[in-house]
Amino acid sequence: MKIVGIAACTAGIAHTYMAREKLLRGAKARGHEAKIETQGTIGIENRLTYQDIAEADVVVLAVDVKISGEERFKGKQVIRVSTAAVIKNAIGFIEKVEKALENLK
Amino acid sequence: MGKRKKTNGAGAQIKKHILTAIGYMIPLVVAAGLCMALGQFIDGDVRNSTSGIGWYLYKAGGFGMAAVVPVITAGVAFSIADRPGIAPGLILGFICTEIKAGFIGGIVAGFLVGYLVLAAKKYIKLPQSMQGLMPVMVIPVLVTAVASVLMFTVVGQPFAWLQQALTAGIAGLQQGSKFVFGAVLGSMACFDFGGPVNKTMSTFVNGLMIDGVIEPEAVKFIGSMVPPFGIAISCLLTRNKYTRQEKEALKAAVPMGFCMITEGVIPIAARDLVRVVFACVCGSAVAGGLSMVWGVGAPVPHGGMLSVPLFTKPVQFVIALAIGSIICGVILSLLKKPVTEADENFDDLGAAEDYGADDGKIKVETF
Repeated sequence: MKIVGIAACTAGIAHTYMAREKLLRGAKARGHEAKIETQGTIGIENRLTYQDIAEADVVVLAVDVKISGEERFKGKQVIRVSTAAVIKNAIGFIEKVEKALENLK
Repeated sequence: MGKRKKTNGAGAQIKKHILTAIGYMIPLVVAAGLCMALGQFIDGDVRNSTSGIGWYLYKAGGFGMAAVVPVITAGVAFSIADRPGIAPGLILGFICTEIKAGFIGGIVAGFLVGYLVLAAKKYIKLPQSMQGLMPVMVIPVLVTAVASVLMFTVVGQPFAWLQQALTAGIAGLQQGSKFVFGAVLGSMACFDFGGPVNKTMSTFVNGLMIDGVIEPEAVKFIGSMVPPFGIAISCLLTRNKYTRQEKEALKAAVPMGFCMITEGVIPIAARDLVRVVFACVCGSAVAGGLSMVWGVGAPVPHGGMLSVPLFTKPVQFVIALAIGSIICGVILSLLKKPVTEADENFDDLGAAEDYGADDGKIKVETF
């Protein structure tokens, strides 16, 4: 499965990037492909392209604050969590995503 | 996006709005606070100067500080209502400063503005030809007018009173209560290494700092820096109680701690959460209490050791921090168990051990 997502935390300097790292590694450990954009205090990095979003099976928003560009995900399946949930248990989270998508089918 | 179902609770929404505002506020306060402090550093008599580098910096910082509450109000309003919230939010923030409703009043004003904008968008129907007037005229003028009058008359007053009571209350604390107050703040600051409890504490003390009560802010520095330093001390005392990975992590966590970023210790805390949190809370509580009693004040909200020369009592601060870190390190070394083979294989990606991550079911929404 292909996962895209955004990570953003309050201070925008630490949790944002830890959440990104964990999502990437968690997805890899479960055999998925992932691309995660960060919206830290420095601004947007690793920006998702329209192609990334179009190809994705699910959108993960690991965000504690308001983010920009949510309208890009119109029509997609979106899952919203806190950065802390992803950082604490990345694999557990990805497994939950798998199950949630399975239930939708 | 308007059609999206509300799946998150009201509490989570409110938290998101406040955190968004704080995210915008942090760089502003750091820039303003450090410029002001540097100005004072360069020119000792900066308050009576009228020119020179020190004065320029001091003035710049002063303008930044004056903009803090407006940025918070605008940030909350922006988080709720998007762009139309910003202009009325800024204006309302200055009103809060003027009527001394402070930081808390500023947040409330942000909610007032945000929801007024949403209401205006929903209930005011203009003919198609005049739609362009909504964002540039109708919403900003109407919301500003209504919210301002409300703030000056009814809404603002209780917060002005609350802010005054809070400031006076803290200033009037006895030595014993000061220690307890500092200890509670110190415990909160380090309890979850930069998580929600820490952010609640930060919001509170940042608000106080903006209103001129700078001692609790120093306790925040302590609570943010005791965990990395304390764990490092513990690792030096008992190297066999830390895994290879943890020693690696510490090499990053200590310099991060120096700059007041606590999050570097999370991987180390994750493997042994209860013991690490307990030790850190003990160390921070004692150090926080001492810092309050000694009257250490931090005029800036961030910057770690780099900001310490700007504190009111830098030497006492360093002593308090050292005492706290040593207490934390010694307790941790006594409590921790030597590393086993299984620990070496601990994977911080989770799954190995679930320690109360927010375990609610996740929801899939269709945008």
